[in-house]
Amino acid sequence: MRAARVQRRIHTVMLMGGGLLVTMYVLAPFSWLVLTSFMHESDVLSVPPRIGWDSFTIGNYLTFIHASGVEAVVGSRAAENTLPGIFNSLVAATATAALNLILGTLAGYSFARLRFPGRMPLLLMYLGSRMVPGIALIVPLYLTIRTFHLLDNLAALAITYLTLTLPFTIWLMKNYFQGIARSLEEAAMVDGCTWTQMLWKILIPVAAPGLAAAAIFAFMTAWNDYLFAVILTTTMASKTAPVVVAGFVTDVTTARTLMATGGVLAVLPPLLLALMCQRLIVQGLTSGGVKG
Amino acid sequence: MKVSIEGQFQRPGPLAPEADALLVMHRRTWISRRTTPFAYLLNAPSILVIVLLVGYPICYSIWVSLHRYDLRRPRIFRLVWLQNYFDILADPDFWTALRITVVFTVIAVIIIVSVGLAVALLLNRRFPGCGFVRTVILIPWAIPPVVNGLMWQWIYDPKIGALNALLRWLGIIDHYQGWLAVPTYALGGLIVAHTWNEFALAAILFLGALQRVPAELYDAGRVDGCRSWQLFLHITLPWLAQALLIVLILETMLAVRAFDIIYVLTAGGPGTSTTTLTWATYLTTFENLDFGHGSAYAYIVTLITLGLSVIYFRILYGRGEFEA
Repeated sequence: MRAARVQRRIHTVMLMGGGLLVTMYVLAPFSWLVLTSFMHESDVLSVPPRIGWDSFTIGNYLTFIHASGVEAVVGSRAAENTLPGIFNSLVAATATAALNLILGTLAGYSFARLRFPGRMPLLLMYLGSRMVPGIALIVPLYLTIRTFHLLDNLAALAITYLTLTLPFTIWLMKNYFQGIARSLEEAAMVDGCTWTQMLWKILIPVAAPGLAAAAIFAFMTAWNDYLFAVILTTTMASKTAPVVVAGFVTDVTTARTLMATGGVLAVLPPLLLALMCQRLIVQGLTSGGVKG
Repeated sequence: MKVSIEGQFQRPGPLAPEADALLVMHRRTWISRRTTPFAYLLNAPSILVIVLLVGYPICYSIWVSLHRYDLRRPRIFRLVWLQNYFDILADPDFWTALRITVVFTVIAVIIIVSVGLAVALLLNRRFPGCGFVRTVILIPWAIPPVVNGLMWQWIYDPKIGALNALLRWLGIIDHYQGWLAVPTYALGGLIVAHTWNEFALAAILFLGALQRVPAELYDAGRVDGCRSWQLFLHITLPWLAQALLIVLILETMLAVRAFDIIYVLTAGGPGTSTTTLTWATYLTTFENLDFGHGSAYAYIVTLITLGLSVIYFRILYGRGEFEA
């Protein structure tokens, strides 16, 4: 009896050790970025870096709010652009998520509930379209968007993000709807609901977790994109956060601490979203993304 | 000792046979004649988007790839048929880029799958703090590749990098190294940065699949006297097969297409040591402004990814598990 208990305790300790290892693997690189954003430039540049309470500052973050302040002699332009860039990213990513929900729900429903000729080829066409790398699409997209004078336009950017997100959304919604009992819909139809009423009042509320997971994934993909954004945007009217942050790297004059702060700020919205919706993400994937 | 899964437990498909029969009945009742037009009506916006934003660009890029079209001499737009492709295939740089792409992709995918699976197996167990670790692994997933590249750039920095400081402190190196200035280290550093960013998604997908393995299977296995490695081999792995294939597809595509991280971290260098096919496409198109060769490059990348995805789909179909 005692031997078994000791063995179980050893087992738990081993599992916790594994957990600690994973935590360190994730947090070590990331905490370095966060730490740098709270340090004075001179402390970061010294070898080895001086880490301590003396070097702690929130000045870097203040620079981003008052970009023209005294602190902002170095790299102030990039700092100035970060918050507008994050705003642009929020607009583009939210629009992408909304478009995905509308198109993905309709198409996903058709695959989950209807049998029609060409169903399988159509589904394969959606999934296959995701196999085409963005780099193959971007030149024709650029030329087309230029023809319509829609370069540097957030709406155009959000629409091009559909190519990256829509196939996965359709797949996710199809699987999620398939997991919902048909009896609900049938009851609604028997009660005299039209199809649209049934969709709004019955199916969408029930499928809300799946919809939320799909929206989060679309949001994340749009937020992370750099290739489309760097080519389709030219001014701060539409430059997104990754474009601004990548601009830091090529600008050698920017202070490292400011770059780190910009990086942390650009990570903050998707990170908060991921942490708040942790359960939804795993749940949506479990029931929708991967079928056992 | 082999535990039969198929015999005892029906895998949860989208529709059980009874449900399928019901569906057939329904097809004859409330949506019978309107089904096909209705289905295409529902799909119309999505089809429009895919045809306009993916179909048309593909056709256009094939068309351009058959032409001499160099933005530095914009008046020349001459049909040269497959000449651009022959040029690329005859160029040793293409074969170098292909080799680097294969090395990068294979190593990165192996690491991502192994680490992702190990983390998922760990987090599938209950231990104090496991909820915290589950939250923590969302961090790499939420970080945009550009920021990830920025972060690793400082870690590898030759003068003030954290990696140098750490290795020196551990006594592994005597003096600071310029990690991204040495070809082998640069490719390795790129792989480490990319896998850190991507392993979390694999772990989340695996964890989702693991949570659906029925506990009865393990009980049955234990009653039959299976050891834990046998349980893993005969129960866990078969259940993970589809999740594994999905992770493989996703991560292979992501690795072949890796662009942001290369842009920020190495820009294809030093020399051509981290110039993958995607990066070569970018250079040809946007640095040399040679749209003809650039499109041919892009189309070769497309053919490779499409070929890989066909192979993956064959595997899914071959196992009889691709239920749509």
